[in-house]
This record gives sequence, structure tokens and C-alpha cells, in this order.
Amino acid sequence: MNKPRTNYINRELSWLEFNHRVLEEALDESVPVLDRLKFLAITASNLDEFFMVRVGGLRMLIAERITRRDPAGMTPARQLEAVCDRVRAMVGDQYTCFNEQLIPRMAEAGIGRLLPEELSRVQLKFVQHIFENEISATVTPMAVDATGPFPLLTGLSLYMAVRLKPAQGKLKPRFALIPLGINASRFVAVPTAEGNHRYILLEDIVSLFVDRLFPGEPVMECVPLRITRNADMSVREDRASDLLAQMEKVLDERKQSDTVRLEVQAGVSRILLSFLQRRLDIGEKETYRIPGPLQLSDFMDLAGLEGHDELRYEAWPPQPSPQVDPTVSMFKVLSEHDVLLYHPYDSFEPIVKLINEAASDPDVLAIKQVLYRTSRNSPIISALKRAAEGGKYITAIVELKARFDEARNIEWARELEQAGVQVIYGVKGYKTHAKVAIVVRREPRGIVRYLHFGTGNYNESTARMYTDVSYMTCDEELGADASSFFNAITGYSQPQKFRKLAAAPIGLREHLLQWIESEAERKRHGQKALIMAKMNSLVDTKIIEALYRASQAGVKVMLNVRGICCLRPGIKGLSENITVVSIVDRFLEHSRIFYFHHGGEQKLFISSADWMPRNLVRRVELMVPVDDQACRRRLRAMLEISLCDKIKGRMLKADGTYVRTKGKGRRKNSRSQEALYRYAQQEIAQAHQRKRTRFEPHRPPQQGA
Amino acid sequence: MSASKSSSSRSSGEDSRRPALPIAVIDIGSTAVRMAVAQVNPDGSLRTLESLCQEVSLGTDSFTKGMIERPSIEECVRALRSFRRVLAEYDIADSKQVRAVATSAVREARNRDAFIDRIYSATGIDVRVIDEAEVSRYTYLSVRPDIEKSAVLRASDTLVIEVGGGSTEVLVVQRGRLVFSYSYRLGSYRMRETLEEYGAADVGLLTAMENRIQRTVGHIRQRASVKDKPNMLALGGDIRFAATHLLPNWEGSDVARLPLRSLSRFTNKLLKLSVDELVHRYHLPYPDAEALGPALLTYVHVARALKLKYILVSASTMREGIQREMVAGDIWTGELEDQIVHSAVELGRRYEYDESHAQHVAKLSCQLFDGMQEEHMLGRRYRLILRIAALLHEIGLFISNRSHHKHSFYLIRNSSLFGLSDHDLLLTALVARYHRRALPKPSHAEFGTLERDDRIAVTKMAAILRVADALDRGHTQRIRTIGVERIDGHAVITANNVAELSLEQLALREKGDMFEYVYGMDVALRGVAAGDGNA
Repeated sequence: MNKPRTNYINRELSWLEFNHRVLEEALDESVPVLDRLKFLAITASNLDEFFMVRVGGLRMLIAERITRRDPAGMTPARQLEAVCDRVRAMVGDQYTCFNEQLIPRMAEAGIGRLLPEELSRVQLKFVQHIFENEISATVTPMAVDATGPFPLLTGLSLYMAVRLKPAQGKLKPRFALIPLGINASRFVAVPTAEGNHRYILLEDIVSLFVDRLFPGEPVMECVPLRITRNADMSVREDRASDLLAQMEKVLDERKQSDTVRLEVQAGVSRILLSFLQRRLDIGEKETYRIPGPLQLSDFMDLAGLEGHDELRYEAWPPQPSPQVDPTVSMFKVLSEHDVLLYHPYDSFEPIVKLINEAASDPDVLAIKQVLYRTSRNSPIISALKRAAEGGKYITAIVELKARFDEARNIEWARELEQAGVQVIYGVKGYKTHAKVAIVVRREPRGIVRYLHFGTGNYNESTARMYTDVSYMTCDEELGADASSFFNAITGYSQPQKFRKLAAAPIGLREHLLQWIESEAERKRHGQKALIMAKMNSLVDTKIIEALYRASQAGVKVMLNVRGICCLRPGIKGLSENITVVSIVDRFLEHSRIFYFHHGGEQKLFISSADWMPRNLVRRVELMVPVDDQACRRRLRAMLEISLCDKIKGRMLKADGTYVRTKGKGRRKNSRSQEALYRYAQQEIAQAHQRKRTRFEPHRPPQQGA
Repeated sequence: MSASKSSSSRSSGEDSRRPALPIAVIDIGSTAVRMAVAQVNPDGSLRTLESLCQEVSLGTDSFTKGMIERPSIEECVRALRSFRRVLAEYDIADSKQVRAVATSAVREARNRDAFIDRIYSATGIDVRVIDEAEVSRYTYLSVRPDIEKSAVLRASDTLVIEVGGGSTEVLVVQRGRLVFSYSYRLGSYRMRETLEEYGAADVGLLTAMENRIQRTVGHIRQRASVKDKPNMLALGGDIRFAATHLLPNWEGSDVARLPLRSLSRFTNKLLKLSVDELVHRYHLPYPDAEALGPALLTYVHVARALKLKYILVSASTMREGIQREMVAGDIWTGELEDQIVHSAVELGRRYEYDESHAQHVAKLSCQLFDGMQEEHMLGRRYRLILRIAALLHEIGLFISNRSHHKHSFYLIRNSSLFGLSDHDLLLTALVARYHRRALPKPSHAEFGTLERDDRIAVTKMAAILRVADALDRGHTQRIRTIGVERIDGHAVITANNVAELSLEQLALREKGDMFEYVYGMDVALRGVAAGDGNA
């Protein structure tokens, strides 16, 4: 990677390093083969998004002739160049992994890919049947030539590019494009004599029978291709009054934006490729010749193939939390103590239970919730609908700017509106990223607000794959703050001063800077000081500068940053007291937890925000203090486990590269995700144990209880 | 107010007692419409559930054009509609649970009635325009807990000051007791608006503001008769903003101690910034940004004039004062009544009245009022008005002993008596006016404008006051306790422990005509010698 010319690591290159760490999991022989395939598919879909958003963005900057350097001192052009070099190497690694390791391993394990030439006579007949009955009707070739209109290709979809023999008496080759359709499965199972699972790829079938789509026209060549379009959508919402209508327009616009990448199967002829490059207005630099199947992200489906559990990690099902008795109402549970859950080790069920109970509880007056990337058929959405239909006041902040999920969001947002939910489509100019829900309940003592704060979305399916913290409480001050927060984002009130919360874009960064500075100050005065923080990305230069100052003051700073990290740790005189570890394992690290020693007060926070300008300036985010003693102990233990992972952790070096942490001492074999899972298992087992060893006498019913 | 997390914030959720109801106060000011929703705890204390605030520009309209324009009205309607939704979310439906008030910006607008009607028809919220005296009362109610909590404030003189958009409230509290209250037409917003209207140049603007503030400060010093170094307890959004900035650890649950030097430095810094810069740098709404500099400057000047090094800042708001009154139900009771009487006494002293006589007539008036309850059927509020009128009935003598009742009338009418609304003050002045000479006539300007019920009440009270005054004709306070008996259609006043009553009986014959006219019975005075035990 680049030499430390400045105190910062370029964020694009840092992100690519993250993707590389994911790729390392795919390359890791100790990982079960279907999980390796999954990791590989993730690196591919990550790269797709990277091209659409980041590479697309860089190209726009270059097109606008912007030459301003990033904090790492690189111009957009220089960044693009470095990014492309790194990506080319990475694509090479991906296909080495795929062709040389995963394909043979999977074949050994009984999931073999069949190439057209490997088909037996019976199999060929079967495939032909499939082509004639299922595929041929969905694939329609479009003739294209050097000058006429060129069809608008959908980004990130597979096409077959076909070169036909020149017409009789002519020299010019003729071309056609065949969209492979989004409905057809890419993997077609082929019967085998041995009963193994063999599959053939859709594009292989099409190229096998492509002649039949061009009767009487000899096909010279047929190769898969795919383009990627720039999708950096800055929603210009201030200029349109109806945000919803505008979003639908943006979806259309995205189909028309610039092509930033052309992928085509290696071995494509010069003549076909230059035709494509010319018509797509794309150069050699943006062209990738792929030595294997395109769109590896599709292999996620194959990795999820039913059965074959021996080829996967053992299941770690979410554990019920001993903090929540399933037979007792969440209102009673939370009125007795706060609840802190760490998903996916702890089940997401208590959150669904709270919203469900709230929907049908006659004393609940109102529910307010921010919904950002929720799941299809979400039980939370249906509970909110039910509650609204039952006459409760329900407010849902639906964020339409959740990347790539807009179409899905618009649909269920309309359903909510029809049920009588007051739906607010986000805040103008900001993406609402905070995860918070309030249930307002009338109780004999007056109004009580039950709250849920999270680091992840209200999405039961991602809650099984992402590590996220949930904090549930009925703390009075947090309740007042949460109400203020909703009043601010629904436009009922100007933002009011919070008692405990901190929110972006007003004040969250300042709060963080204060906390960091105050640790540095304490250290300068000879007190003990410590900062521990876990997040997905660390980019914000103001915060990084503050961390450097803290390090210079002698504060120990332990960071767990899964993805992009622009901070250079371990530079003498600058950051030698800072360590950065990144964990890539079976669950996606997603929680944001911050710890400040604060003279022994040990302040702990959870947050929806990464330390990126995007989160701190352009998003509505929350940082929530966890003050309950038991919850703090739990949260701190979890943070510490995440900071010393000797199996899946990688240490960031000053040059921007990562090395595996070396295990030594007591925690030599600590793999944090496994430790956290065992921790959750143990907790519930101990709770059961305590129940069994304690005798509970039947007492006569109490008077007036 | 901010209940920290404690066992009280936990609730069993299984209790079956009647739930305590939340209450809401809406306050339409010159730069913002605000609402506070609070839970009334079983012990009567309050717990704030939500505070909302939306900027409006009523002040600009009202203070420069004299009326509220259409867009500003609709701005208020929009804000109040969203507040309505919040009220609905707490199931606050009963009008008893909501109080909406408007202060100077609405009060001074020519089209205030149209404004109130528009708000009511669009939102169903019934807004009451409150006058200066009510603002003072609420201000006092809001800071009372601050004063009670602090040993220093309890033991010393405290100047309570709130610089609002349209006016500045000043209260002086001596050892927990209110001795002075006044509402000055010196508002931060008004200042900026009018000065800019006159085209004061940038440099001139600051000087003009300072001159303006100085005049008021002089008045405060003179009128409030405060000692050299009282405590200054400041409240209001602008000073809260300054305190939060200068004292980042201040959480608002107690009174903050703000060094004048740092406030002054901060104020100078802010005054150098344009409104746009303020908005941008401090995330302030525009109207607040316009008011901030002049408001802080006022606090600084007042503090300087009082030679203070620190000012105390309270996070209390007028809305909390209103909430307390809603919870207490009736303001005409107990301590607040004492405060009102006390401020009347202060006023009397300023006009060098015969305090013993005044106090005595007031006492006798109350005794008569109580004794005649069956006849006049007036509520407690009128008892207090009568008491105040009795205390002040002769202050007109300060001006002249000719027609002193008329002087008393306008002196009371134009005073600011803490806690009494403008209307109550008018009634008080009229009762005092009619303590002698002409009976009330509809042709008398102020009397004639009253509603019928009020006219009758004034007459009933004045009749009692005349009798009470007659009973202390000699200004000797010999008649201490009296009783009222009704014998054969006569009202017989029995004076205990007094034998010789000819002077008073003569006076009563002179002054009892109104009583007879009002109550339909003549009035006689009878002495009961010591030991008779007659009641």
C-alpha cells in the first residue's frame, strides 16, 4: 500500500483492504467450503457497490476536473489509479480462489459444476429440455450494430454478447445482445447417476443452444458480459416538494447513468470487445476480462443450498436472553430493569415482543419508530399497522434514502399510511440513520415511555447476521430525550437540548471530541485514561486528530474498526498508543460501542453512527449512554472480547495493511464471535440452572397484590 | 424538574388506581410558540414529559407593523396543529388539561381578536392573551422553587429578571417575599426591530441599544429600592443559551452561577456576528438569533448597574409557573394572596398612606365581606380585590386631598400590582374610587364599560368599603372585631369591647346610604361592652 506520506490512509484503499480481509476468509482452508463461497460472493457484491458508489463518485470528480487532495494527499485521479490497480489484483485473487480452490473443493464435496462439454448424453437432453421449455421464452436477442440505436443495458445484470457471421457477401460482422433475465435461476441442477448435486450455469446453457435463437445464422462467438453504472445519487430533495415522487424518479435516473465498468469473460475476441467498448463508451482501463463466471455474488445462492450442513459452520442460533422472561410482559420486565442484548448471539425476539405487546395493549397511547431497511413481511411493520388500525397514534419515520432499498421501502410505507400510520419520509437533506423506538404508555403513576435504542436496523433477518446492540429501558430522561428527538425529526419542534442523548448532525461530533479531549486532559494531569471504541468505519479527520492528540498525551486508545480506517496507528510521536483491530468472521461486525474511562466513571455508549463525516454531518444519528449497572458490565465485557480476537482479528499497521494478530497468553485462542456466542449460551444455561436449584414454594394468593 | 432516574420512574404497570393525567401549557411568544407537557405526580410535583418549540415571527409583525400578518398567523396555526397531535398522543382531550396563553406580541397587535379566532377555528386551541401582571405572577411562580431551594436566595434580596422578546419582567424578592414587580416595554426583539426600523447604523445600533437599556436600568434601580448588591436571578431562553455555552456541565436542574465577565465577553462576541453567522454557528432559529444579542446585553447592563460579579441563571420558564398554577387550581389562596397583599402595601407606602388605617379598614372590610356572604354571594377573588382596594383607598391623598378618591383611582389603575391582572386592577381601582362621594353611574367612563356582573360586584364591594371606612373614621382603630346580624331587615354591626360609638355612628349615617341602596337594608352600629359575649 501507499507509503505514509500524510497522517491518513486513503479511504478507498482502506476499504479495499477490508474487502481483501473478507477475501482472506474465502481463502482460509480452515473455513468450511460453503462459508468460503459465501465470503467470496460477499467480496464480489461489495465490489459491485464500490464501483457504483465510490468509483462512480471518483469518476464524477475527475469529470468535473476537481483536483483537490483527500486527507491522504491524493487527487481523485491518483486515487482512481490506485484503486484500479488494487482492484485488478483483487479480481485476480478472487478467481484464483474460485477456480483453484473452491470449484475443486466443492466438487469433492459433491457440489460440482458441469461444463457444457462434460455433459453426458442424458444430461444434454435434460438441459436441452430446460432450454426449450424454460429459458428460450425468456431470452430475446436484440440486434445491435455499429451505428444504430443501442439498447439501454441494466447495470449489474448478465447479458450474452453474440457475434454472428457477416451476412452473405458482406464483411462486417453482426452483433446481438441477449439479456439473461432476472427471473431465471443462474444455477440449473442437473441429474446425475451418483445422486450428487451437479449444476450448470445459465450462461453455459444459453451458449450451448444459442444457434437456436438465430436460425440459419452461424454464431461465431457468444460470451457473458455485464456493466456497472455510476449510482452516486445525491438526492436533490430541496428542489422537489414531493419526496416520494422524486425517489421514484431517482430510481429511473439510475438506469441511465454512466457506465463505470465493463466485465466480460476472458477469451473474448478483439473484434467483439472493441465493438462493445465503442458502443458503451468505455475504455480499456474500465474493462475487466474475467477468467471465470461473472457476477460471483450470485454464488451466495449456491452457498445457501439446502442441506450440506457439514460444509458449513455449525449453526449458532440466537439465544433467548435470561434478562427477558417470555411469559412476562415486556412492560413489567422493563419496569424492573433495563435490558441489553447483543445480537445475533442474543435473540431479537424481545424487541418484536415489545412492539407486538404495545400494539395490542389498551394503555399504550402511541408508538414512534424509525424504520430503516426493515425486512419484507416484517412482524414489526404488521404490529404497527395493527396498532394504528386499533386507534393508537403511530408515527413511523421511513428513510427512503437507504441505499438500493428504496423500491421496497416505498411499497410498505404506502401500506403503513393506508393503515393510518403517520409516515414521515425522512428529514430533508439528511438520512435518518438512528435506530430508536418509543412506546408511550399510560400507567397509574402517569405516562411511562418504554424505549429501544439500537445500533442496527429493525430487521429480523439481518439481526441474525449482523452483530448489533439493543438497549431497552424506561429511563425517564432518555424518554424525554427520545420524545424530543422525534419532535425534531417530525418537524413538531426545533431541536431541544438533550439531557442524556447526543444526536447528529447537531452536536454528536462535538460530544465525541469532548469525551476524547477530556480523556487526554485527565492523562495530562496524571490520571488513568483509556478509550475503547468499536465501529464499522473511522474516517472523520477531526475525530482522528483528537485521537492523535489523546495518544500523544499518553492515553491508551483501543479501536475495533471493522471496515475503513483512515487513522494510522503506531506512528511514533503521533499514534503509538493507538491500536486498531479489525474482525472479519461469520457474522458482520456492525455494533458501535464507545468507552471512556472518565476518571473511573467508565462512560459507555452505543450508537448508530460511525465516526465518518457522512454519519456525523449528513445523517441523523444517536449516541446513547448506557447507565444501568448490569447492562454496563455486560456491554463492557463484550467490547473487551471484541478487542482481543486472536483468531479472526487483524491488526492495522502504519502503512495501511493488516496482519493477523498473534495469540499469546491467556486469550491465545480467543475468537471473539465464538466467545460471545458461548457467553450468551452460558448465561441462559446458568439462568435455567438457578431456576432448577431454587425451590419455589406455592404460596397462598396474596391480598391486593 | 428533571427527575433523575430513580425508583419513582419505575412503575409496576399492574396498579389499578386512576392514572394521573398529564397537563400541557402552550405559550405564544414573540419569537416562538412553545409547549410543555408535564406529568402531575400524585404529590403534586411536576415531571416534564416534553418541551416543544417552533419559531414564529409574531414579534416582527407586532412591534413594527402593529399587527400580525397573514403568513405569521398561518405559521402559528401550523405549529399549533403539530402540538395538537402531540396532545392527542398523550390523550390530552380535556380543555382543563391544556392552557394556552399569548404574551406581548399578540397583546399589542391590533388584530389580536382575529388572531385568537383564527387559531381557535383552525386548531380548537383557546388562546388567552395575558397581561403584564399575569406574566409577572407566572414568572414568580416559576422561580419560587429556585428561591426556596437556595439558602442564599431565601436569605437575601433577589432581583429576578427575564428579558423577553417584547418586554422585560423584573421582580424583587426580599427574603422570599415579593416586594416589587414591573413589566418594562424593553424587549430584545422589540429593540432590534424598532431600532433597525429607524435605520440606526451598525455602529449606532449598539449605542442606541445601550442607551435604551440604561434608561430602564435606572428605573429599575430607582423603583425597586434594591440594596447595592442583591442577587440577580436571570431567566429566559437567551440567558439559558449563554449559560449552556459558558457552563457546559450545567444541566439546568439547579441555578447556575455565571461570571459576569465571561457573559460580557460572550455577549460582545455575539454582537459582532451577523444574524446569519449566529444561525449558522450556533444552530439557532432566525428569530432567536435576532433577539440573542440585545437580550444578553440587557442582562449584562443590569448586572453591571447592580455592581455584580456573578449572575444566577435559572432554567425555569413561565410555562412551569402556569403549570404550577394549573396544579394548585386556585391562585386566590394562601401564599400567593399574601404576596399580592404585600405588593399592595409596598405601593401604599410609596404614596405615604396611613398604613394603620389602611390595614384596619382592610381587615374590617374582610370581616364584613365574610359576614355578608349570604347577601353578596361573591367569591374569594372579590374578597381579595376588596382587601386590596381597602388598603389603597386613600393613596390619592398623596396627590391632593381634594377628590382624593379620584386620585386613588388612577394611581391604582396605572400601577403594576403583582399578581393582579389588568382587569382585576381596574375593579380594585373602581372599588377604591367609590369609597366616598358619588355612587357608581353607568355614565362614569370606566365603570360603564364593565360587564353587568362586574358592575354589580364593584357596587357591592364599594358599599362594604364605605361602611368599613366609616367604622375607622377617627383613624384610631378602636373597633377591632365586628359581627354582622340581620334583625328585622336591618343589618346590625356589633362592635366588641367598645362602648362609645357616636363618631362612628355619625359617619355610618353619612356613608351607609350606598349599603342600603345595594343590599336593601339599612345599617346600624351597636357596641357591646366587654364581657357581654355578644356575637
